[in-house]
Amino acid sequence: MTPTSDLDRVTMIVLRYMRRPLFVLLFVYSVGIIGMALIPGRVVDGEATHMNLFHAFYFFTYTATTTGFGELPGGFSDEQRLWTIFCLYMGVIAWFYAIGSLIRLFQNPNFIQALDEFRFARRVDRNREPFVILCGFGDTGSLLARGLSDHRMRAVILDSDPERIKALGVRDYAVAMPGLRADASKPKHLLAAGVKHPACRALVTLTNDDDVNLKIAVMARHLNPRLRVICRSTSSRHEATLRTLDNVTVVDPFEIFAQLVCRAIARPDLHNLNSWFVGAHGVELGVPVQVPRGDWILCGYGRMGHWIHHHMQAQGIRLRIIDPDAEASSVGEDTPLIQAHADRTALQAAGIDDAAGIVAGTNRDSDNLSTLLSVAELNPETFCIVRQNSHENQVAFDAARADLVLQHSLTTARRILKLLISPLVQELIDWLAEGEPALTETVVERLRAAVGTQPPHLWSVRLNPDEAPAVTEYLDRDGAIALGPLCRDARAFPQRLPCEALAIRRQGRSIMLPEPDDPLEAGDEILFCGVHWVEHMLQATLHNPYTLRYVVTGVDSPRGYVFTWLQGERKVPGRRPH
Amino acid sequence: MNLERVVFGFFIILALSLNYAFVAGGVEAPAHHNVWILTLAIIINLVATGLKLGDRSQTGALLLASGLVAGLLLITARVVWIIVESDDGGPPDAGGMADIVSIATGALVANIVATVILVGDTLLSRR
Repeated sequence: MTPTSDLDRVTMIVLRYMRRPLFVLLFVYSVGIIGMALIPGRVVDGEATHMNLFHAFYFFTYTATTTGFGELPGGFSDEQRLWTIFCLYMGVIAWFYAIGSLIRLFQNPNFIQALDEFRFARRVDRNREPFVILCGFGDTGSLLARGLSDHRMRAVILDSDPERIKALGVRDYAVAMPGLRADASKPKHLLAAGVKHPACRALVTLTNDDDVNLKIAVMARHLNPRLRVICRSTSSRHEATLRTLDNVTVVDPFEIFAQLVCRAIARPDLHNLNSWFVGAHGVELGVPVQVPRGDWILCGYGRMGHWIHHHMQAQGIRLRIIDPDAEASSVGEDTPLIQAHADRTALQAAGIDDAAGIVAGTNRDSDNLSTLLSVAELNPETFCIVRQNSHENQVAFDAARADLVLQHSLTTARRILKLLISPLVQELIDWLAEGEPALTETVVERLRAAVGTQPPHLWSVRLNPDEAPAVTEYLDRDGAIALGPLCRDARAFPQRLPCEALAIRRQGRSIMLPEPDDPLEAGDEILFCGVHWVEHMLQATLHNPYTLRYVVTGVDSPRGYVFTWLQGERKVPGRRPH
Repeated sequence: MNLERVVFGFFIILALSLNYAFVAGGVEAPAHHNVWILTLAIIINLVATGLKLGDRSQTGALLLASGLVAGLLLITARVVWIIVESDDGGPPDAGGMADIVSIATGALVANIVATVILVGDTLLSRR
């Protein structure tokens, strides 16, 4: 059996629907035209005239479509007029039937779906820009698509919910984001979305169903083993399976969220740096939120609660847990558990008066918001971290009195975006998390000196002939370039551009916080953080050999052959160093 | 200040000026156009193109291309002049003159492009 393509299916459906109407039209036309040609016309010079076949076809065409130009090319006989009446009614009925069938065809859901799939596959296939496949366009998916659009990265979107694909149609993305309503776990749809496309950079599975995510990840691995897969997973059983596959990154939204909450509590300086990097609203670099020390109350002990508990214990922070359904055995002996909803009595029982802070982390926004209200009444001094579940409730959470609002779809989308756009950023953050707080202080100081109060812009540069032809050429011919000279401002030599190199990735190893004297090598990937316009300035240096030579040596070398020769002549007799 | 930039700018702008000096005037009036200015414009253009050789930057490539276009068109104009010149050494007739001037105007556009690139590059580098 030969595989059928989408185009074959479209053709097949059109043929099946239109076969009968087309036959009816053909029949009516044939009968009408032949009849018109056979029936005698007006008598001229004692002999009956006949319409020829072409004139009969011409007449029938304008009659059947109810245009009715009149009796052309000449006047008709009565027999012909009788036949005309027959032709008119038959023709009109045949046409209405054909048009009705056509309209029914266009409304046929199978036809629409087949046509959509065909168009989608063609759009993906013709695309030459690098892109990411997003399976699942929920809260996280749409936030991720927005982030990708901000970075001018294309995405191809699959979602089984037609409403979500309709929502995609009304977004104003800066780049093309084709979407299709389809079950992404079917290999056919993954192929249409470009799993094997040479420009496909990664596949991200974000559906709410862990089984579906696992299925998509496994399918994609089989279809294209070299493709990078980022998979959302909340179940430890699936995670174990996924981690055995190489090229697959598992992203657990609850773990990321818990990690963020604990970092915000234990390492406010790092949390501040991280939020500044991702451009969170109202964050000033070097001014971390002051989080009090002491015991914390955690409301909600589901999957996320477990992760928060786990991370908090690792940081040595004691918790008191409020959850109506939690088992005392799952919490552990040294952690107090109140088995109730987080209302006034439960909060008082958990000791809200002497708690340092509270994490309202249930999976219902209304519960979290009402907990906030109770806390504000009982102990307004308490530090409040609240979990926002639905993106739609943004306004309510903005208005609530919380010290930190964390939305897990947003934190997940940001983490995946970092993995896709600049994986070095996450590596740097993790490296800083393991190191001493003084290290973070150094980074913050350096960034403050370079960028100041302006919003940060993160980008990475690969020192390869495509992205930095001047640098690779210089390294080949003239020798070493250090990081510091590369970042000089060609307009105001030897001042530095307001940017800071945060990390270098070299042959699979990462060098964090490189010094200005560190030499560069061809193939390095450098992560920069700076003011927005610096990227363009630096790009000029990386592409133009003369600008590069100038920032590295401070000498404006001659450009044309004539002046190169002249300078050589001038130098040799005098032997003066330039 | 860089000596190379001075010399380079001098020749590029001189080529543009001479080209304009030749083209200015009535299209069909031989009295408005001097064959010496045309010849000089060709020489200056060739010198400017020679100075552009060897620049490996993107703007350098564009400058070289515009220089080649201007040189090609000006030389064509000079060849047409030789062909349509009357046998007694008198100036070309109105039709021939119109051809020569329109070709030289094309070269003027290429020279304007070169000057714009030069000025733009200098302004953008701002040093």
